[in-house]
Amino acid sequence: MSRRFDAGHAAYLTLNGAIVAFLLAPIAVVLVFALNPTPYIAFPPVGVSLRWFVKFFSSAEFMNALLLSLRVAVLVVALSTVIGALCALAIARGNLPGARLLTTLFLSPLMLPAILTGLSLFQVFMLSGIGRPVWGLVAGHTLVAVPYVLRTTLAVLHNFDRRVEEAAAMLGAPPARVFFEVTLPLIRPGVIAGGIFAFIVSFDQLPISLFLVVPGGETLPVVLLNYIRFDLDGAIAAASMVSIILALSAVLLLERIIGLRAYVKL
Amino acid sequence: MNPQRPRISPIAWAIAPAALLFVLFFILPFGVMAVLSFLSGNPVSNPNVAFTWRHYNRLVGSDLYFDALVATLRIGAITTLIALLIGYPLAHWMARMHSRIGHALLLMAVIAPLLTGIVVRTFAWMTVLGDRGVINVTAQWLGLTEKPLPLMYNEFGVVVGLVHIYVPFMVLTLVGVIGRIDLALEEAARGLGASRARAFLEVTLPLSLPGILAGSLLVFALAISAYVTPVLLGGNNVLTLPMLIYQQVSASFNLGFAGALGVVLLAVSLALVFAYNTILGRLTGERQIA
Amino acid sequence: MIRKSHISRRSVLKSAGAAAIATIAAPAILRAQTAILRTTAWGGKWGEVMKGQVIPAFEKEFKCKVETDSAFPYYPKLQATPKNAPLYDVLHTNTSEQWQAVVEGLVEPKLDAKAIPNLADMYAYAVSDKICGVSAFTSAIGFGYRTDKGLAAPTSWKDLADPKFAGVRGTYVIPVNSLGQMHLMMLGKIYGKGLTDLDAAYKALEQLKPIKTYDFTGGMEKALLSAEVNIGVLHDSGIYRYDGQNQPIAFAAPSEGVLSLEQVWNITPGTKVRELANAYIDYILRPDVQKTLAEAVWYSPSNRRVKLDAKYDAKLYNTEAKVAQLIQVDWKWYNERKDDIDARVTRILKG
Repeated sequence: MSRRFDAGHAAYLTLNGAIVAFLLAPIAVVLVFALNPTPYIAFPPVGVSLRWFVKFFSSAEFMNALLLSLRVAVLVVALSTVIGALCALAIARGNLPGARLLTTLFLSPLMLPAILTGLSLFQVFMLSGIGRPVWGLVAGHTLVAVPYVLRTTLAVLHNFDRRVEEAAAMLGAPPARVFFEVTLPLIRPGVIAGGIFAFIVSFDQLPISLFLVVPGGETLPVVLLNYIRFDLDGAIAAASMVSIILALSAVLLLERIIGLRAYVKL
Repeated sequence: MNPQRPRISPIAWAIAPAALLFVLFFILPFGVMAVLSFLSGNPVSNPNVAFTWRHYNRLVGSDLYFDALVATLRIGAITTLIALLIGYPLAHWMARMHSRIGHALLLMAVIAPLLTGIVVRTFAWMTVLGDRGVINVTAQWLGLTEKPLPLMYNEFGVVVGLVHIYVPFMVLTLVGVIGRIDLALEEAARGLGASRARAFLEVTLPLSLPGILAGSLLVFALAISAYVTPVLLGGNNVLTLPMLIYQQVSASFNLGFAGALGVVLLAVSLALVFAYNTILGRLTGERQIA
Repeated sequence: MIRKSHISRRSVLKSAGAAAIATIAAPAILRAQTAILRTTAWGGKWGEVMKGQVIPAFEKEFKCKVETDSAFPYYPKLQATPKNAPLYDVLHTNTSEQWQAVVEGLVEPKLDAKAIPNLADMYAYAVSDKICGVSAFTSAIGFGYRTDKGLAAPTSWKDLADPKFAGVRGTYVIPVNSLGQMHLMMLGKIYGKGLTDLDAAYKALEQLKPIKTYDFTGGMEKALLSAEVNIGVLHDSGIYRYDGQNQPIAFAAPSEGVLSLEQVWNITPGTKVRELANAYIDYILRPDVQKTLAEAVWYSPSNRRVKLDAKYDAKLYNTEAKVAQLIQVDWKWYNERKDDIDARVTRILKG
């Protein structure tokens, strides 16, 4: 019986290992490009060089774009987690009629090609004289980030054991206290997962940004896309690797501070 | 079914910020776009516009657009299914992992692909799948094949690219749900004599259905609105509705028709999602969706 | 442990909040006194030279600020802004888009020769009736091909259909790329009665299958460099920019003539800085500015007085005789039929 267990477990591990390899393969490719000194993207690589990273870091355009993308992403995470979590609570607990319809509605920005969302936002902003301020960009990103937070928070709320809340209430805690000390901590995992999505979605967002950025205030994906139309060299791969390293560092940092591990368990 | 609907709780007001955000930044602009789809031009730059069905007639009158809609939905469904099959085992492993370091590493491995940036990531796949890409060059070198395998410029390449991008979303959605399934339930089943497989199929899997639903809906929604990946990996041989929309907006100067395409895509998708939501909701016996 | 994470979280939130406020309230540059010219500019090497040299010099001479939008596509953005408050004062894009812009009244049909004196020094093609605005630069569309496959250099547009190129030839996603559109028209000329013979063009396109398509020239360049294709429709600039890197690729100008991929500048009717806009276009047409930009990206300048360095002079279209070989197409005619052409072409190439 122990051997059967091992074979099944080995298969399980092999399968998962293959999946992780699948996920990481293109990143390995990008890393190879980033270090390959030839000024265009090709395989097999001819060597190792840091020139693309140097080019990336010494380009004011790339650096400003990177900074703007990061700042916008942080704002978007803050806004979308609050808005999305509140919305999830309302839908799950508020006894609203048509809860299912509401959720589908809040999911709809994801189903519409973002280029249309971006263009129609642009048109409305222009017509109303708002122009293209940074908060408009943040609003556009938040719009497409909220559905993620909503989804993940609802998924956690669904598996929720309400008896914990009921027990707290029976022990005499007022509703507000039950909310802040029982409910919120328990949905925190879902909100954090949604927040991770929100960060990624904002940082990598392209079509909406194309319409809502201003000259000199472009986000990194916009700058990269434009760069790639005219120069197909390793600088974009370097930009990509830097993004990955930065964001992964942020994830590690979060892990230390908040303990993401907690979001899986109760 | 509840015989009597419970009163709306005060917490329902928490939906206000989301509602405000959506009304201002989605419904209003989308409404503008939908209105444009019934006009003969853009009233902003061209005051003499008239109401017209022209754009919708064009959509209905040609096979091309219907085929594109079908292709879009088909690719979306296939992508979702494969992403689920791939994402579930990984989410299960991650959720049950004891080591904190291992968990953090897996999390990074799952998130990293999303952070490469959509354009670069798709170029990376082009380099892997192309006729002179990693797979073909290696396969030919190993003598496995003479002519290059057509891994790109077709639906296969597009699905591979899309699955790769969206598996992380599936995994992250599932991890939370699977992790919250009380291990005691599984252990009880095994204690009663069920095999691992049976305990999984009859205890874990059904309990993770809400997560499956949430993840599938998310991936489907994303896959049907994807533009960059189908264009770069499918070439001219795969035509999806988002590609058409993008063409109309950026190269055909035709906002009205693009709007019409958008309205149709959104309407069909919403209907599908609502139906799927309802069906699976009934299956899990829940009044509310997950 | 709870306390520790509580404090850390709070300080993280605090600094994030501060950064957020800083982002939103970022002080707008004090522009009350300086005029602002808003225009467009490609990215990459072109953008580097524009933003690094050409534009700063203009700003200094004319005491103004120039904002360049590099987030393509430009056209829908211009369409979405009212005519009396256009998003751009000067629009720089390709001929196909400029023609559509004229039809929709988004740019002026003709430039003011008095306000832009350098127009007098243009080659005829740059201000012909096929152009609205002025073509400040152009490149020649022919073939890019690999020199290490033992192939003879192509000499005719018909060479693309050669069976030995099956599966390793390239063109563009025609609905979104003007090189692809021009090539389609060329097929009509080569196999039929002329640039407007679409029936012949469609038939010829059918014969070119299997063919790989890309949506911009950078994709074609990459395909050639990595040998995904051995021959592709490409402009000379796309090959010459790799000069000095010893790549096994070369440009071939077919005997039937090369097509002209023009970089056209034009003014929007609603611009509030008309004088400045005219000055800007005039500036781009100055011989020294033309020389700088042309040599940066291997574009052919349209000012007759430009003296290019020897290696550029040899290859680019810089004399009356050479520019006479450039074929210009009727974009007004094409744009009127674009929707039908796009549908037809997509069906043909979808396979």
